[in-house]
Amino acid sequence: MRVSCLQENLAKGVAIVGRAVASRSTLPVLENIYVGTDDGRLKLAATNLEIGITCWIGAQVEEEGEISVPARVVTDLVNSSPPERIDMALNVRTQTLQIHCAQFQAQLKGIDASDFPIIPTAEQDKAIHVAPDTLREMISQVTFAAATDETRPILTGVLTEFEGASLTMASADGFRISVRKAPLPEEVPESFRVIIPARALQEVARIMGDQEDPVEILVTQKRNQVLFHMQNIDLVSQLIEGNFPDYRQILPSSHVTRTVVDTGEFLRAIRRARIFARDAANMVRLQISGESTEGPARVRIVAEAAELGDNVEEIGASVEGEDIEIAFNVRYLIDVLGVLNSAQTIIETTDATSRGVILPASNDDFTHVIMPMHIGQRG
Amino acid sequence: MTIRVLPPEVANKIAAGEVVERPASVVKELVENALDAGATDIRVEIRDGGRRFVRVTDNGQGIPAAEVETAFAHHATSKVQQADDLFHVQTLGFRGEALPSIAAVSHVTLITRPAEEEAGSYLRIEGGHTLSRRPQGAPVGTTISVENLFFNMPARRKFLRSAATEAAWIATLVSSYALAYPECRFTLHNDGRRALQSPGSGALYDALVAVYGTDVATKMLALPADDDAPVQVSGYAGIPSLHRANRKYITFFVNRRWVRTPMLSAAVMQAYRSIVPTGRFPITVLNIRIDPTELDVNVHPAKTEVKFRDSNAIFRLVERKVRRLLVDEAPVASAQRLVTETGGAASVPPAAPESWSGRQGLLALEAQRTAGEPAQADSVPLIDERQPRRLPVLRVLGQVHQTYIIAEGPDGLYLIDQHTAHERVLLERLRAQRARMAVPSQSLLEPATVELTPEQQAVAEEQSETLALLGFALEHFGGNTWLVRTIPEVLRGKELAPALAEILDNARRDRSELSWEERLLMYAACRGAVKAGDPLSLDEMRALIRQLEETDMSRTCAHGRPTVIRLSQAQLEREFGRR
Repeated sequence: MRVSCLQENLAKGVAIVGRAVASRSTLPVLENIYVGTDDGRLKLAATNLEIGITCWIGAQVEEEGEISVPARVVTDLVNSSPPERIDMALNVRTQTLQIHCAQFQAQLKGIDASDFPIIPTAEQDKAIHVAPDTLREMISQVTFAAATDETRPILTGVLTEFEGASLTMASADGFRISVRKAPLPEEVPESFRVIIPARALQEVARIMGDQEDPVEILVTQKRNQVLFHMQNIDLVSQLIEGNFPDYRQILPSSHVTRTVVDTGEFLRAIRRARIFARDAANMVRLQISGESTEGPARVRIVAEAAELGDNVEEIGASVEGEDIEIAFNVRYLIDVLGVLNSAQTIIETTDATSRGVILPASNDDFTHVIMPMHIGQRG
Repeated sequence: MTIRVLPPEVANKIAAGEVVERPASVVKELVENALDAGATDIRVEIRDGGRRFVRVTDNGQGIPAAEVETAFAHHATSKVQQADDLFHVQTLGFRGEALPSIAAVSHVTLITRPAEEEAGSYLRIEGGHTLSRRPQGAPVGTTISVENLFFNMPARRKFLRSAATEAAWIATLVSSYALAYPECRFTLHNDGRRALQSPGSGALYDALVAVYGTDVATKMLALPADDDAPVQVSGYAGIPSLHRANRKYITFFVNRRWVRTPMLSAAVMQAYRSIVPTGRFPITVLNIRIDPTELDVNVHPAKTEVKFRDSNAIFRLVERKVRRLLVDEAPVASAQRLVTETGGAASVPPAAPESWSGRQGLLALEAQRTAGEPAQADSVPLIDERQPRRLPVLRVLGQVHQTYIIAEGPDGLYLIDQHTAHERVLLERLRAQRARMAVPSQSLLEPATVELTPEQQAVAEEQSETLALLGFALEHFGGNTWLVRTIPEVLRGKELAPALAEILDNARRDRSELSWEERLLMYAACRGAVKAGDPLSLDEMRALIRQLEETDMSRTCAHGRPTVIRLSQAQLEREFGRR
């Protein structure tokens, strides 16, 4: 193999696939990056067997060939190289990759490319197209609510449903649930649902960059892998098998109090409350009261830490229904308010022990449910 | 069957059975008599565990020749004149039962002389019958020999334990009195060997050294008495790392009378709750000084039990005083062993005294001041303005084995067990929240189902209210299955089913005297804490140390294992041969 490319492009490519490199794997080849020629371009790939990322960069190919080299070394080397042309040449007999750039020349001992796991690539025709902005927003609105601990593996994934001309993503961690719907440009021939690891989706959003063309999503015939095809980048992820809890049953169908607040104002108040709440089990209390002789409708945000002190803040609101006091984990509120994408936030509540619902006021495609906290006895 | 009055021999034996159970009871009665007689030097000699021979020699006031025989008559005593006196008894004995009871079941020889009489008296009684009485020269004081105990009661005799066991009882007893009366010199000879000798210097600390040895004595914290409190508690309490397998080392005196009252032991255990490891017991020597009218010692002939008029108040006072002392004074456990480069454990010669060397002198001094003049023992002023002992400000250096946090403090290197430290922080927080009825719980999106064993279910049912207060809303679903609707906030992110099972199991198996609530809290904190093996970021470690610094009793975890070990600058220097 003899290839030349620009340092800038190689650095970018290595950074993208580097996200999928396994750390501390028992299989040494998984700590490597695949480097090979592919149809006049340079193909880079890495996988930890859960997700695999492939990236193609422009290159001048003089001789075909492929190898895998240690990710950490090649990443550091390329990143520290001057922004010039990099020439690579493979000595097949010794499986050594020679990297030459400006004044330096390095020899990298690699592992035979045939040992590198095969990462599936797209079969273009069956793909479902999703607008990149929509996908990016959906991912940001659901993945944060997925569980991070492995105690219930199913909850570390995002339920992704393709049904007619709509796509729905839902995630839950036992205390909250996030559901986002979006229209698809065209109907899918057959409805189906898969559970995609939240981490894979987060990687998709990260490597998508400022892509403008639709992202193509493809699920393998056996429904065990999903592939996201972007410009010059493919991401393949294993799917999580199992039954995701039926989120439709969990979403409350009615409420007693409906409160509308300014999202920015509410978020700032909650962030201030957090300064105290973080020493008090992260608990923040919302005292919602409608217009009365005591004043206009408002939400009082109260955080008390026994040893530290407390913070009380009042913000204006429009309140329909009964007054209520309800407590939430402050982190959960900050998480959802940060991704709401709406100038105004709707809070729907029933009573202090029932689910609270956070909705954007501007549209109805996003629903977030948070379970309340209590102190002392229930009720 | 006709009803008859029992012949005096039988009646005496029955009465004797109440007072005299074993050789130790004989020693107790005789030593108390000696103390009541104002003795300052009491020698106890025993042979064959006291079964064959007990002799108590004192330098007290002696018995006048005219009264020698009366002393052995029933209910004959010089200590109480009228019934009313019983309500403010100041002497140890008063029932007038001891000598006749002992005399009824053994061979007794009495030699005594009061200072004001020229000649002493000799009296020999066997089985309650006076065999011989004559004047005899004798030093001032009283010597009573008791031989062949229970010679006429073969049944009792059979129930005596081995010589070693009986001797141990006697040693415990004499030790206790040595501690209660530091101004009196006690000597115990067992089969001719000296088993114990207290200096009689008047300092409780010296008596502690004589009884428990220097090692233990240096690890005892002095509890000075309150000047003007109506009930005063004073004495010594062991530091948390000092503990024993049974509660024999919890010693109490009420108005300097040695008592064994479960209520008082429970108060001490409560004070040491979660400071000494489960199943271990602290070493304490405490004297309670109380108006005799608040007290009834006439519960049992042996008088080792007392009744307080307001026993709840006494319980709380003892618990609070001891707890306060521990919180204020307990030092950080210091490293006993250092691992040398060869990998073996080299013992650093007394590491504890190193950190205590300054303190030991102080202790001795304090003890002298507190107990120097026993009459005013309780009137020594408190050391004022004692700061509560907490961890100094520490700088985190790193983590070892993903288990211990290394930190640097102003006075050396600190090793902190991350699990026990976090557990301690959580436990304190839970306790504080519980006290305010404000344990935060988090509702679950969907109720979780857990399978419980029958034992676990029994706890879940019986303690459902306590569990609810801690944030667990449990509901029986049928069969072995339970629904969990809310969980304590501390357990968020932990695997629920094993956590709940472990908390219920541990709380059930826990043999400590803690309440269910305390136990459940403790195990919830344990389960909620980071585990050994969890990698922590520097920020997480800093946050943990900061919280630990703010925690009371930061030195041991809820199970009593140490949380923090300090390697002092001096120890490090010594290890590296710089000093």
